[in-house]
Amino acid sequence: MNTDSTLCFHCAEPCPAHSEFQINYRQVLHPACCAGCQAVAETIISSGLDQYYAQRQQPADRNTPLPAELLEQLALYDDPSLQQDFVHTTSGNEKEAALILEGISCAACIWLNEQHIAKLKGVTAVSINYSTHRARIAWDDSQIQLSAILQHIASIGYRALPYDHARDEQNWQKQRKTALFRLWVAGLSMMQVMMFVVPIYLAPAGEIDANWLAMMHWGSALLTLPVVLYSCWPFYRNSWRDLRHGRANMDLPVSIGVLIAFFASLYALITDHGEIYFDAVSMFVFLLLSGRYLELKARRSAGAAAEKLVKLVPTFAHQLDAEQGLHEVAVSRLSVNDRIVVKAGEVIPIDGVVLSGSSDVNEAMLTGESLPVPKTRGAHVTAGTANLLSPLTIEVKHTGSETRIAAMVRILDQALSQKPRLAAIADQIAAGFIFALLIAAAATYWYWHLHDPLHALPITVALLVVSCPCALSLATPTALTASTGHLAQLGLLVTRANLLETLAKVTDIVLDKTGTLTYGEPRITRTIALNISSETALAIAHSLEQQSEHPIAKAFLIEANLAPVSAAQQVQKHAQGGLSAYIDNQYYLIGSIAFIAEQIQQAIPNEFEPYIDEGSMVALSDGHTWLAAFVLADHLRHDALSTVAQLKAAGFELHLLSGDQTSAVQAVAQQLNLQHAVANATPESKVSYMQSLQQQGKTVLMIGDGVNDAPVLALANVSIAMGAGVDIAHAAGDMVLLNNNLSCLPAAFALAKKTQTIIKQNLLWALLYNLAALPLAAAGLITPWLASLGMALSSLLVVVNALRLLSRQRRH
Amino acid sequence: MENQATYNYKVVRQFAIMTVVWGIVGMLVGVIIAAQMFWPELNFGPYFHFGRLRPLHTNAVIFAFGGCGLFATSYYVVQRTCNVRLISDKLAAFHFWGWQLVILLAAITLPLGYTQGKEYAELAWPIDILITVVWVCYAIVFFGTIAKRKVKHIYVANWFYGAFIIAVALLHIVNSLVLPVWGTMDSYPIYSGAVDAMVQWWYGHNAVGFFLTAGFLGMMYYFVPKQAGRPIYSYRLSVVHFWALSFTYMWAGPHHLHYTALPDWTQSLGMVFSLILLAPSWGGMINGIMTLSGAWHKLRTDPILKFLVTALSFYGMSTFEGPMMAIKSVNALSHYTDWTVGHVHSGALGWVAMITIGSIYYLIPRLFGRDQMFSVKLIEVHFWMATLGTVLYIASMWIAGVTQGLMWSALNSDGTLAYSFIEAVKASYPYYFIRFLGGVMFLSGMLLMFYNVMRTISEGKAVDAPIPAVAAHA
Amino acid sequence: MESLYLLIPLSILLAFVIGFIFWWTLRSGQMDDLEGPSWRILHDDDKSTQKTDSNEAEKQKNPD
Repeated sequence: MNTDSTLCFHCAEPCPAHSEFQINYRQVLHPACCAGCQAVAETIISSGLDQYYAQRQQPADRNTPLPAELLEQLALYDDPSLQQDFVHTTSGNEKEAALILEGISCAACIWLNEQHIAKLKGVTAVSINYSTHRARIAWDDSQIQLSAILQHIASIGYRALPYDHARDEQNWQKQRKTALFRLWVAGLSMMQVMMFVVPIYLAPAGEIDANWLAMMHWGSALLTLPVVLYSCWPFYRNSWRDLRHGRANMDLPVSIGVLIAFFASLYALITDHGEIYFDAVSMFVFLLLSGRYLELKARRSAGAAAEKLVKLVPTFAHQLDAEQGLHEVAVSRLSVNDRIVVKAGEVIPIDGVVLSGSSDVNEAMLTGESLPVPKTRGAHVTAGTANLLSPLTIEVKHTGSETRIAAMVRILDQALSQKPRLAAIADQIAAGFIFALLIAAAATYWYWHLHDPLHALPITVALLVVSCPCALSLATPTALTASTGHLAQLGLLVTRANLLETLAKVTDIVLDKTGTLTYGEPRITRTIALNISSETALAIAHSLEQQSEHPIAKAFLIEANLAPVSAAQQVQKHAQGGLSAYIDNQYYLIGSIAFIAEQIQQAIPNEFEPYIDEGSMVALSDGHTWLAAFVLADHLRHDALSTVAQLKAAGFELHLLSGDQTSAVQAVAQQLNLQHAVANATPESKVSYMQSLQQQGKTVLMIGDGVNDAPVLALANVSIAMGAGVDIAHAAGDMVLLNNNLSCLPAAFALAKKTQTIIKQNLLWALLYNLAALPLAAAGLITPWLASLGMALSSLLVVVNALRLLSRQRRH
Repeated sequence: MENQATYNYKVVRQFAIMTVVWGIVGMLVGVIIAAQMFWPELNFGPYFHFGRLRPLHTNAVIFAFGGCGLFATSYYVVQRTCNVRLISDKLAAFHFWGWQLVILLAAITLPLGYTQGKEYAELAWPIDILITVVWVCYAIVFFGTIAKRKVKHIYVANWFYGAFIIAVALLHIVNSLVLPVWGTMDSYPIYSGAVDAMVQWWYGHNAVGFFLTAGFLGMMYYFVPKQAGRPIYSYRLSVVHFWALSFTYMWAGPHHLHYTALPDWTQSLGMVFSLILLAPSWGGMINGIMTLSGAWHKLRTDPILKFLVTALSFYGMSTFEGPMMAIKSVNALSHYTDWTVGHVHSGALGWVAMITIGSIYYLIPRLFGRDQMFSVKLIEVHFWMATLGTVLYIASMWIAGVTQGLMWSALNSDGTLAYSFIEAVKASYPYYFIRFLGGVMFLSGMLLMFYNVMRTISEGKAVDAPIPAVAAHA
Repeated sequence: MESLYLLIPLSILLAFVIGFIFWWTLRSGQMDDLEGPSWRILHDDDKSTQKTDSNEAEKQKNPD
């Protein structure tokens, strides 16, 4: 809990001097920064939920009072046609909605929301998932409307958005639960069967009486039955599906092996003749299913990409029409040629043309362009970009699936679906191995059936067990898991482990500029001061920009160690991004050089001219003369130069691919000594560049950041997204660079190569083992329990070898 | 009903106080028999003889002290985490008074010599029947309360308590099956020979597993996070811990019968699964200790937390020692020596008693409307006395045990035994005094606790906390 | 050794019972959120001295 008297009690942000807002918490008055925080805190405390402040670990988000339009938007949620996506009627008036909560910063927030919502009259149930922030709320429609519930959530400072992928999520949950239970059944059966079998293995022959043996075997049979009937079901289903299409997959020998082993054991048990190995069945299935389960979870996280992209587009818009004037409407209801108003700070919901107004629009998430783009009458704007400065009236040109962002989602989906190519190749190779195995098994059975019919079945099963691709199937995943752990320690999070293999084969590296090689946000690179010291100019600018929400203001705010200057007062924000205020009764103006030139009616001084092209320029004035100018440009990351040099030395071909202007891209290419540099690249042209590289037979690693990179990240053979990038890039990248630290890349490549070596060693061992064991088994020299032991030992060796990939220094 | 909106704290209070009372009684008997080991002349007459007091000691500390602690905490935890009052106040009251009667009968019949001769299951058949009835009531109250819970998720502590209740019911019934001789306290066992031994140690081992481990883990999973003010380190791990423990514990029983008439393979089986047991046990311990990450500083000032964390450390130690002793070659040295006694007490004093004491200290102020215990300083003193007592106890027994094991198996060059039995007794003799000192120290700590609890109660007033309105869960 | 007649079937029965319980926990959503429950118990304020506060809060509930 903060005790600092100048910080807001609710959101812990600094309070303006002489703030009159206060919060009465447990008989003590605490300061508040604004009316919004005060209102929220009062709501929370008066509902008896003041415990929230004692339990939270993070301050709340700063809260702005609810504007009338938000209330109007919330009312739209009562429209049944809008509700159909995320609300379902359980019975009569009972409805249930899936929502996603925004503004949750710690566990206490969840508690607060649950308590607050549950106390509303008419709400019958509420539960919020701590890890996903998804809420299920059930209410009686005759007593309370959804909009009222949403308003109550807003009144304590959170936003609830409809979660319209609820049905998709339900299917996934069901699939996950089924898979988990199949795995668990196999695990339980394995443990229990082991209890019966271990003593049989340990005891000298004849020590255990026959009746106990029989009983323990029958117990094992009974316990293995659910594994064969239930856990293995997906194997049978997949094999049958492929068999009908005349194909064979990995599941076929598994199915055959499991069924034969089980029924042969059962036959041996009934006839009291032959070997029994129920333990091998359940252990085998358990190992296979664990692999499948992990694979299922990994696949799931890859599919979330497109979903996140769609979320960039808002649900509501302010429509302008002759009859109703300005009113709220759902974006899905908009049609071409409708007019909407997008206010400052809002996200544009459609593709369209500006009719009136002028403003800056942040298109970074679409183009990677780091600076805001000015938009005036006649300019095209795209859905998903943010209006920064002043309201724009826009005529709708494309909606929904026609928009550019929807097109990008489609590219992304396509790119994602092209991925499994590699997996398909692996399957083909495996199919060959499997056919050979099946033929060998059939031949063995046939031979022994002719010569020693009594032993034909056990020998065939021993063959199938001993050649079980256990070590073979463990060889790769264990090595990948171990090196994935090591990479995570380096700061590289691998989301799709099987692509480490590809990482080792990379020949070409394609780099994005903004946010990848550079920091992705403008920083002050030069200060030109006239009639004033640079330090003072910076300090004044810092104080002024504290009042601004313009993205460029951040560049000033991160400047530290400035001379103290009093706070700006009588702040006035101008259109075109200017700002004026008084500091110690002295008037100041800050803004783009065009804005200042217009305000003070003076030409741009010659001193500024040489630097205008270096980046964007912000000028400071006292209302009469020019005081100073600041050049803001995107900086190269501190480790970009050394990393690029190391990668080039290691023999990689490097490409720079950016949506930014030619001059900026060329500057970076020169600094880093890169030959291949493409500027002004659109998402589509990036994709075609990538495809042309791949057609030349190159294996390409793409390192990028930003939504516009998502399709090309997905298309690349392997991709790395910067951790500081937008969410979508995380999902689209095969790996995420958590600390944005480029210098760990060379180490990652080295590790990927070592991983390949170990995988090869493992595969070689597994293959040698199988080659040696197969003829021995076919010759009837291996009993099934020896086969199981051999299988276990060979697997163990593979695992131990893989563990060498783990990092040595575990401690910090 | 006017009390519908409050929790039933009454039964929690009753069991909590009796936990302290029976703790003192049970440990006093323990100190007496420890003294009898050092001063054999203290064995007066048939009723006050070591042979009759020893089962009284084990029954009193396990079933009276440990049992009451488990009942008090489980009733508290199940109500608070399910957000609902116990399903029946009457059955809960019957559970309390029934259990006190069982303890009282045990305290009378055991010195009188009525016993079935099975370790930890000595009580005669009429008492066994009473236990079964009381236990079924307990199960009805506990599971009934869970059934009418207001919170969808059943907190992991309740899973452990639930497993403890079901497993103990099963164990008690299977192991206590006897043919009673009507009109007397006597009975004939229905099992015989090696079977009887195997069933007994299947029971004995799982009594430790589910009574002294699962139940107290339930306690740990609630009171450690509550007292530390931090959520359990990994809730996922705690769920895995639960299932893994339930799987593996059942099967390690035969290690109690190494080098007996039991078939060799069953002994090996017991050894293998005892070793496997180490994994889930340590998973739980690490989960508990790591819960303090971010709250380590509280350990300096909070003696209750000290009790809980030290309990976890002893749990880790004894669950490591246990599987080691189940290895046949180690067992050859340790079996039948005082090492086993030391091992049991590192679990009993270090883990069971300390976690119970910590939890009771947590409960008492809340049950009697106080902010904290009468004296936090006294808790601190109690903590150091308990820790020192435990360390003295297990260190002396470990040395005595290893000495005995070595002396018993030492051979002369001609193959005859190097030492007679009495020589080993003589060598252990000084350690019996240290053990006695450790016991006295632990008991004195309990007396301090009794004083502290009584002062807290007299300053406070019994309260039944209102049930907070909670979010109903879908 | 006759105890095995009891213990083996018992253990098999137990395995099936445990399997059934696990199936129920999955189906009833006990495993849907394996993070929240650890926080929920901390949010349940059981300090007895705050009883008066929460009583007052009870009266003020349903602010609308």
